Amino acid sequence: MSKGIAMGRIDWRLHALSGAALLFLALLPRFWGSGYALRLLTLVFMWIALSGCWNLMSGYTGYIDFGPVAYFGIGCYTTAILMTRCGIPFCASIPMSALAAASIALPIGAATLRLRGAYFAIATFAFAEAMKQILLEMDRLLGIDSFGGSHGITLPLGPTNLFFYYSMFAAALATMGVTLWVEYSKFGYALRAIRQAEDTAEITGINTRAIKIRAYGTSAFLLGGIGGIYAYWITYITPQDVFSVHITVHMVIMTLLGGMGTLFGPVVGAFFLTIVEETLWARFIYAYMVLIGAIILAIVMFMPQGIMGTLKSLSRHARS
Amino acid sequence: MGTLIGQALVNGILLGGIYAAFSAGFSLIFGVMGVVNLAHGELVMVGAFITYWIFYLFGFDPFLTIPVSFAVLFALGYLLQRFIINRVIEEPPIMSYLVTFGIHLVIANVALLWWTADFRTVTSSYSGINFSVAGLVVPCGRLATFGIALVMVGLLYCLVHKTDMGRAIQATAQDKQMARLVGIDVARVYAMTFGLGAGITGLSGSLVSTYFVIFPFMGMEYTLIAFCVVVLGGMGYIPGALIGGMILGVLQSFTATFLSAGLSMALTFVVLFAALVVRPAGIVGRGIVE
Repeated sequence: MSKGIAMGRIDWRLHALSGAALLFLALLPRFWGSGYALRLLTLVFMWIALSGCWNLMSGYTGYIDFGPVAYFGIGCYTTAILMTRCGIPFCASIPMSALAAASIALPIGAATLRLRGAYFAIATFAFAEAMKQILLEMDRLLGIDSFGGSHGITLPLGPTNLFFYYSMFAAALATMGVTLWVEYSKFGYALRAIRQAEDTAEITGINTRAIKIRAYGTSAFLLGGIGGIYAYWITYITPQDVFSVHITVHMVIMTLLGGMGTLFGPVVGAFFLTIVEETLWARFIYAYMVLIGAIILAIVMFMPQGIMGTLKSLSRHARS
Repeated sequence: MGTLIGQALVNGILLGGIYAAFSAGFSLIFGVMGVVNLAHGELVMVGAFITYWIFYLFGFDPFLTIPVSFAVLFALGYLLQRFIINRVIEEPPIMSYLVTFGIHLVIANVALLWWTADFRTVTSSYSGINFSVAGLVVPCGRLATFGIALVMVGLLYCLVHKTDMGRAIQATAQDKQMARLVGIDVARVYAMTFGLGAGITGLSGSLVSTYFVIFPFMGMEYTLIAFCVVVLGGMGYIPGALIGGMILGVLQSFTATFLSAGLSMALTFVVLFAALVVRPAGIVGRGIVE
């Protein structure tokens, strides 16, 4: 690849600031934090990680994956089954969950990534819903008793809030680390080339299909791991919960809010939306879902460039 | 055994008719605007509830409520497109998925607040009447529903191919810029198309209410069935809705008869997924492929 595209100069100030923020978050529970605040931050980390995974695939390639929750759910179930039925400890279950999700993602990705646009979105959406239905029916179909059907699986009670705080923190860092690597690697250039002009990218010698499958598999690998942590944290999972289309929509909305195809987009979006939802949920228990729908509509109609984009264009207006 | 297979086939075809009816609008909307409407099932749900309430409060026959649900849903669809969806139609497709998902959340949850989560049914005086042909049972209500569904898809096809409005819709679908140049008001055509698609979907909702239980959160399942039907028949190819509806209806009916009823939804997704991967242009290959 030629040096045709000027590499964005790495802004050290931004990195210093991020480093300070990371250190602050890592030490935070040492001197402050009620159980509630820790749980809320853990939730924020989880959404940063999940949105980051969606951003990795869809934000960079422009292929709208509408079923990432499938791999999150597969991760949840892998960890739940390994821990309850096979007695495998949590730390060993997580990499296995990630591998399980990735190994399912490779054939699925190979099949669906030949499709484009709405067809890819519908196919991935169908896959996630199919996974939900399959898990609901699995036991009855095979005459076994390991997936629990619609009753789901109850996991053993885990360690303290602090443990999950750091686990999700690590998951968010891992996702951001992979995204950072993508930002500055040839692989990332290939992904962006696919987003801008796939056919041209193919002509210039990029094996677009292999690259897309790699991105899809990487995203699924991380999603599976996060799902595993979530299952142990929440201790009770059902197919309806962990394969819910709402989880997918949250990943999409958070990434859009912060900005697609950027490193900090999912972070900004996840922080903002998790806090907003938490306050709404506590105040309006009954109208909560209507409000979420209205927020989604408002974001898409009035801030299609996301928070960052809107701020930029507002400041441009102010100057002009 | 032969009778069992025959009966499953009859049930499947009758079911396919109703599937085709509420999926045709989805195909129209996608074909003209490229919008994947994730709130499609909510249009079915609202239509079904209109029939339920008119039947419950005034005792009108479900089939007489059809004009009302068509009119109300036409208006709703027209307004949604005019004031919400038209704003994102020029944006990347992800925006229209999210907007329609937002609409799905709002409609389903408002319905939940108003009407509670109760399951309801419309049971008319002639619900139980049926007749037998060669040992196969055909319920009269379902046959009437099937007939109305066929007529409706036929009328929609004629409207799109034989009227000026239909020609304007087709022109807009083929080339938006050229349509503007020859004086077509594209925003209005879009709103009319969405209104029409929503109207026939609401009308089908009225038919659905005589078939199945209805409740505020029923929408998503219908959206997914519509996906499957339309993909099987070819996205944007309206007669394809009939083909896709029949295929899915018969498949589901056989699954329910010979395996288990719980599998029918899982089967829908597997079929949808396989159809997309193997034949994205639909069984007859007349659908739009990006």
